[in-house]
Amino acid sequence: MTVLGEVALWIALPVALWGTVVSFVGGRFRRSDLVLSGERTVYMLTLLLLVVSAGIIAAFLGNHYEYSYVANYSNRELDTYFKVSGLWAGQRGSLVFWTLLLSVFASIAVFQNRRRNREFMPYVSGTLLGLLSFLLVVLLFADVNPFERLGFTPVNGRGLNPQLQNYWMTIHPPTLYLGFTAFAVPFAFAVSALLTNRLDSRWIAITRRWILLSWFFLTNGIIFGMRWAYEELGWGGYWFWDPVENASLLPWLTATAFLHSIQIQENRGMLKVWNMGLVVTTFLLTIFATFLTRSGLIESVHSFAENLRIAYIFLGFMGGMAALSAVLIVYRLPSLRSENQFQSFLSRESAFLFNNFLLVGVTFAVAWGTLFPLITEGFFGETRNVGPPYFNSVNIPIGLMLLALMGIGPVIAWRRASRRNLLKNFTVPVLAAAGALGALAVIGVRHSMALATFTIAVFVMTIVITEFWKGTRARARIAGEGMWSALVSLVRRNRRRWGGYIVHAGVVIVFTGLAGAAFDVRMEQELAPGEAMSVRSALGTEYRLVYESLSHSRPRVAEGERENDWRWTALLTVYRDGDRVGILRPERRFYPVMEQQSTEVGIASTAFEDLYVIPKEVDLESGSERVTFEAKALPLVPWIWYGGLMVTVGALIGLWPAARVAAPAAARRRSRPGPLPAAAAG
Amino acid sequence: MTALIGGVLLAAGVALFILEPVFSGRSAAFYGGDDDFDEGAARRRVALTALRDLEYDRATGKLDEADYDALKLELSREALMHLGPDQDSGKGVETEAIRVARQLEDEIAQIRRAIREGMQCASCGHVNAIGARFCGHCGKRLATGAGAAAAASDGGAS
Repeated sequence: MTVLGEVALWIALPVALWGTVVSFVGGRFRRSDLVLSGERTVYMLTLLLLVVSAGIIAAFLGNHYEYSYVANYSNRELDTYFKVSGLWAGQRGSLVFWTLLLSVFASIAVFQNRRRNREFMPYVSGTLLGLLSFLLVVLLFADVNPFERLGFTPVNGRGLNPQLQNYWMTIHPPTLYLGFTAFAVPFAFAVSALLTNRLDSRWIAITRRWILLSWFFLTNGIIFGMRWAYEELGWGGYWFWDPVENASLLPWLTATAFLHSIQIQENRGMLKVWNMGLVVTTFLLTIFATFLTRSGLIESVHSFAENLRIAYIFLGFMGGMAALSAVLIVYRLPSLRSENQFQSFLSRESAFLFNNFLLVGVTFAVAWGTLFPLITEGFFGETRNVGPPYFNSVNIPIGLMLLALMGIGPVIAWRRASRRNLLKNFTVPVLAAAGALGALAVIGVRHSMALATFTIAVFVMTIVITEFWKGTRARARIAGEGMWSALVSLVRRNRRRWGGYIVHAGVVIVFTGLAGAAFDVRMEQELAPGEAMSVRSALGTEYRLVYESLSHSRPRVAEGERENDWRWTALLTVYRDGDRVGILRPERRFYPVMEQQSTEVGIASTAFEDLYVIPKEVDLESGSERVTFEAKALPLVPWIWYGGLMVTVGALIGLWPAARVAAPAAARRRSRPGPLPAAAAG
Repeated sequence: MTALIGGVLLAAGVALFILEPVFSGRSAAFYGGDDDFDEGAARRRVALTALRDLEYDRATGKLDEADYDALKLELSREALMHLGPDQDSGKGVETEAIRVARQLEDEIAQIRRAIREGMQCASCGHVNAIGARFCGHCGKRLATGAGAAAAASDGGAS
């Protein structure tokens, strides 16, 4: 199977190159047989890449340590579960997986449009196949071939990094990769629109759902990543502005900007060049994120270790794509002229525009901070890092402005808003926010950024809820429906709008959860069995932790095998305000194969806060049962996950295909179809 | 050995499948399809959607009459501008775009009717926000919107 996978990888490259050439040639010279051949190539590449991936997974499952990739990311003792995820555990496999997902999305796009939008398709498949060819060239010729052999067969592999042995880690990377690769489809349509000079709103109409799909996966991928960091890294945080995290945030930011700015193009025929720029930028950032995550470019500036060859190849590719896209956009500038002008500063258009500036501003700030070590290295010969203080001081204020815009945008009128419009819609939310601010100040909240966050959150939530309430009531009155069915039909009639509002509400909740970090309380204490420690959260909950015992376990294994991990499990009874609420079993693990330690934290959640227990120091050798625990009371952290779930739901509502109104036979006979049953009869 | 045979078969199968159109002359379409895109229809749909939302905004009291009138004029003009020549050509087949446009028109008509019949005060003519029971201008009791709208629906949209 593995050899077949390797063969398939070699077959894939000429196939992809053939497809690229015939698609472009077929499109240019109107050879429809070549176009069809190109589209079939897309399907066949998916098949071949499935074989390649199956080959890699088979090598993992069969413990084929003669392959260096397998030897580096697995060992005999690893769970089957993590062996399968070995496909994306390291750089080489990740590249294969990325390529596979890209080909799957390409196949879906081609299949979806087998009878529609035909003018675009030769260049769409050509662009996607070109990308696939590039990735295959990298896989085969840039020292990252996953099938590279060591020349000897080690008895066992080096094992998987313990931090990656967590179930979120099997879900998080694929989700993120789905987001990255799905964005290649809108990019391909954009290129095709530029090449064919069909720059009306069509390509946007075709790709809107793709963009939302990509955004959906990116959002979930990022949230899963936060979840993984929170549970596995064992320090009670979920985001550190680490290069890899930032890399996944960058395309998310520009994709979010794009989702908003296309509405101006659709409604007002403006910002066409800007939108093209955003599509290209987002796409390039997805590529950047992928290679940054796995190339070790940023880390390698400290060590000059890894092969930087792949970094240069990717940078060159990105530069080339950026240049080509720029040339195409400039060439088509006459077709990208704006049809309208901004009429007023106070209008929904300018709210959207402002939102775009802010999002792009954050993108630049994050990119600058991420690349800062490289920049200082290049110019001053000395590596400097900017830490979380830089990112927080720049991004929190901008984030708060964005948050406020989420409230302003939906109710401000298109084109130009009158003072009456503003007064009418903002009086109540502003009063509600002011009330919240007053109440928080009275109960003694003094942290300025947290105060600002909560106040703005109340402002936005009031607006979102009012919108839903008013809309539902109006719908109920107009259509004579009950409140529930009015709400459902309201949302169904304009999924993007109402789905968007739900996303906004979710983001507000996430922000509120993030602001909770201002009130973290931590306590560290060394305990012997039977002793207890207490921690009082900012919300006033009194937690008492009684350390019961420490147990040491080594899993049973077959003869000749070693254990993957040894575990020291502490048993703690948790009392919340005097009531016994449960038991936590935080662990310290030692991975003999990797010779590394890791921590499994214990988390006790309520709807409003988490108690987070870290066994900080465990004496693994002497057999002493004294353990130093760190207990953290983290208010509002659960809201990040609730908010994330709400964002997901909102995005799904926006994504859900509009129920195609099946045209009844009567409609085909030119009678008048409509939402009203009476219409067909009348 | 089996892997090699498998590889050869795989390569042959793939090559056959992708090269077949070139030899047999089988081809993919360049144009069209069942729901060919029409820029005019798309613009019209956008304008109609905006108009529909405008009606809702007015009905929910987000916009007052002056703003409403100004925006309505602009949007109606846009919707009319993109009323393509094929809109009522009697070709017999309705495209998706036209169908959607019709639905939007019907919905707009429905809202306007509801407002006219339910929310406009019978005695002073003031247009009230949807949901109002009493006129915001003269204080008279209003005919309930739901009843009026139901009557409107029964009348059909044509």
